[in-house]
Amino acid sequence: MPMKGRFPIRRTLEYLQKGEVVFKKSVNIMTVNYNTHGDLSEGARKFVFFNIPQIQYKNPWVQIMMFKNMTPSPFLRFYLGKSFVLLFFNLFSILWYLLVLLLCLDDGEQVLVDVEGKDHKEIMNHVKTILGKSDKVLEAEALAKMELSNPANFGPKRYFLRECISEVEGQVPHPGFVPLPKEMTGKYRAKLAAASDE
Amino acid sequence: MLRALSRSPAPVVRLLSPRTAVWVETVRGRKSRTDPKAKSKLGRIKTPPPVDPVEMVVLKERYTEYNLILRALRLEFKEQMLRKKYEEEVGSVAEERTKREEEEHRSLMALNDAENLRMHKIREQRMQKEAEAEELKKREADILRQQELENYIKEKERQILQLQEEAKDFITLDNLDQRIEEALDNPKNYNFAIDKEGRVVKRTAFQR
Repeated sequence: MPMKGRFPIRRTLEYLQKGEVVFKKSVNIMTVNYNTHGDLSEGARKFVFFNIPQIQYKNPWVQIMMFKNMTPSPFLRFYLGKSFVLLFFNLFSILWYLLVLLLCLDDGEQVLVDVEGKDHKEIMNHVKTILGKSDKVLEAEALAKMELSNPANFGPKRYFLRECISEVEGQVPHPGFVPLPKEMTGKYRAKLAAASDE
Repeated sequence: MLRALSRSPAPVVRLLSPRTAVWVETVRGRKSRTDPKAKSKLGRIKTPPPVDPVEMVVLKERYTEYNLILRALRLEFKEQMLRKKYEEEVGSVAEERTKREEEEHRSLMALNDAENLRMHKIREQRMQKEAEAEELKKREADILRQQELENYIKEKERQILQLQEEAKDFITLDNLDQRIEEALDNPKNYNFAIDKEGRVVKRTAFQR
């Protein structure tokens, strides 16, 4: 099966999971305005090409929209808010929808980030600093998630690691698969007890 | 216990048995309803284990006390956990957290604004430089165009002057006869060879 696209590494799970930016809960929408030609937009173009997949993978509930060649200089815009708001942009009636949007988003904050002339790594770091969850917070969240599932518990394979202690390497195997040695069986021991009693 | 005695007709032994024990006469187990009893078990009478009433009374008291204490501890811990969770999500801890987060957000926005301002300044400078460069280029183009125009005019003037010079030697109707006479009187010899430098090398004799 051939690889698809120019840099197919962008489609690998390993690459996507290496994404650093996890947005705070208040970020709902992210908009990127950039140009297809021009030296100053180069960083923004690379950002869109390489880093947007990572961001979307880590934030599946954030809507990300790209606009090409609408303004002379590239920028990012974040629409914050507590409610769950989505943008609907129609090619034919952009202005109308924009108006509706602006009316709905009155309580939300908008954050503008100028990226003219910046490198895609710089943009990523900047976005991570202002709107991403910090490393400490991420670690705390990961720890809390780990606490929910204790690996020492036994139960169905779907939720736990093992169902029975006989599955563990080095323990007595299940008698259904490997018969127990005679000395461990109940009836032999009962016989011995009866014999010693007499 | 006396009230229980007066109400239920069950035997006293059963009432004295430990509360948590299960009273079952038959357990289904491996065999189904229709399977006959095993031959070795035909004459078996099942008797429950003997119970010492004095011991039972003492044990019951102790067990009730023990269970009471344990249950109280368990509920106490549960309440602590619930209270902590409540505090975290709704109470004072949450409020502090939101305040802290808001402050952090504000400082980060200030950082972002500062960055934007810096970019703005850089952009302004760049725009200025570009405008100046364009101005310079326009001026130079103007000068060039001007010079081209002057050169053109000069060239044309030179050509006109040259034409005027040549016009003196033109053959007109007036001096037509004179010039014909002159031409016939002075025959010209075009039989000559030149070398690479352009100098005349040899002439052959004039032949009519």
